[in-house]
Amino acid sequence: MTIDMDKCSGHARCYGTDPDLFQIDDSGYALRPGFEVPAGGEDTAREAAASCPERAITAQ
Amino acid sequence: MSVTDPAPSRCPAVTYSPHEQRPVGEWTAFFDQLRAEAPVVRNTFANGYYVLTRYEDILSAYQDTDTFSTQAVTVMEPDPSYRWIPHMLGGDEHRQWRRQLGPYFSPRAIDGLDDRIRSRAVGLIESFADRGSCDVITDFSFHYPTTIFLELMGLPVGDLDRFMAWEANILHSNGSTPEEIAHNRTTAMAAVYEYFGSVIADRRRRPGDDLVSHAIAFKVDGRPVTDDEVLSYCFFMFMAGLDTVAAALGYSLYHLATHPEDRARIVADPALIPSAIEEILRAYAFTIPARKVTKDIEVAGCPIAAGSMVQLPIKAATRDGSAFASPAEVLIDRKPNNHIAFGAGPHRCLGSHLARHELAIALEEWHKRIPDYRLADDAVITELGRSSGPDTVPVVWAR
Ligand code: SF4
Repeated sequence: MTIDMDKCSGHARCYGTDPDLFQIDDSGYALRPGFEVPAGGEDTAREAAASCPERAITAQ
Repeated sequence: MSVTDPAPSRCPAVTYSPHEQRPVGEWTAFFDQLRAEAPVVRNTFANGYYVLTRYEDILSAYQDTDTFSTQAVTVMEPDPSYRWIPHMLGGDEHRQWRRQLGPYFSPRAIDGLDDRIRSRAVGLIESFADRGSCDVITDFSFHYPTTIFLELMGLPVGDLDRFMAWEANILHSNGSTPEEIAHNRTTAMAAVYEYFGSVIADRRRRPGDDLVSHAIAFKVDGRPVTDDEVLSYCFFMFMAGLDTVAAALGYSLYHLATHPEDRARIVADPALIPSAIEEILRAYAFTIPARKVTKDIEVAGCPIAAGSMVQLPIKAATRDGSAFASPAEVLIDRKPNNHIAFGAGPHRCLGSHLARHELAIALEEWHKRIPDYRLADDAVITELGRSSGPDTVPVVWAR
């Protein structure tokens, strides 16, 4: 998963879907620009990515 | 709508007054129709302005704040004398305010407010639950965010009635003639400024744990913020947080009163409430923000000159079939739902997390106490073609 930090505007919809994977900082913006999705978590990760209004998240 | 420019044009001219009060739903259908007509239309009303109608163009415009600037955010006022903070700031100045405000409005900060929000919701709902009828708007959805706003700003809840009166005069058309409406609006705005002026002076002497005191301690470019800046921040908070939640709550209860199958589902399974709210925000998106274009551009083949005002109606975006399947249908478990009801880009609504919690808690507590209700028989519900909500949502239930 990669997150375009310039596009992230702190909607926190990714976090709302999967708070373990999509961590946010104290202001509600994405904390990590990229990370591996653990096996088994692909579906929620994809759903979280698709719920970003800014389309800032890409699954690879 | 009257098409005044019949020649093939890439941005057809239309003429309509956004001040017109129409039966609920008609304005939404009207914006759907504009989208079907062209990606950009020009409303010749007042000074004239452009309206973008497609999801892609609207999202890009929100994200490109250099071109679509917030230095003017009302189509009728391309050169405003005011500068609401942080909304009308741009670039780094905006970023600095947002960064300092962020921690008070983040999902985590809002979680911590839930108990207070819940007790407000419960108190209000219990005040009319035994009556068997109420007007969602006047009895519930106006009071609710206003009391929460007063608490967050550290203001006495006893000032509620004054705030409600100011709110009505500023944000709604109160009065019988245009002059009277304008007069009521200006007088109320002056009163709000005066009120916050003395609150700021007081907090400078005796800071507390509230959003006014926190803002006074902010810095911009390394210098402390001025009283004028804090004042225009207070005024903006007042404008942004009251009517919007009230409108969203009005549409939510309107939808659930008129769609018993959706209501039955959330009564049986309150865990559906958050996704139902997202979907209602999408399908009934009501804010119609505007931006000022800073350079000559072209959108979908339509040339727009620097200095023009452009509207970015959220409902035009969130009901666009190229972005959402069955866009006119309300599917309360729609997933994923990446709607932009709170805008997008750096100016995305700062209060969105607070608004979501206020709405979720209100619907939870309402349906615990009043699970079965419907619109009153003689209900006539109207709305304006600008950011506003339903004027009234009268509902009845068995006692
Ligand atoms: S949903 Fe998108 S914009 Fe929001 S925090 Fe996540 S990445 Fe950022």
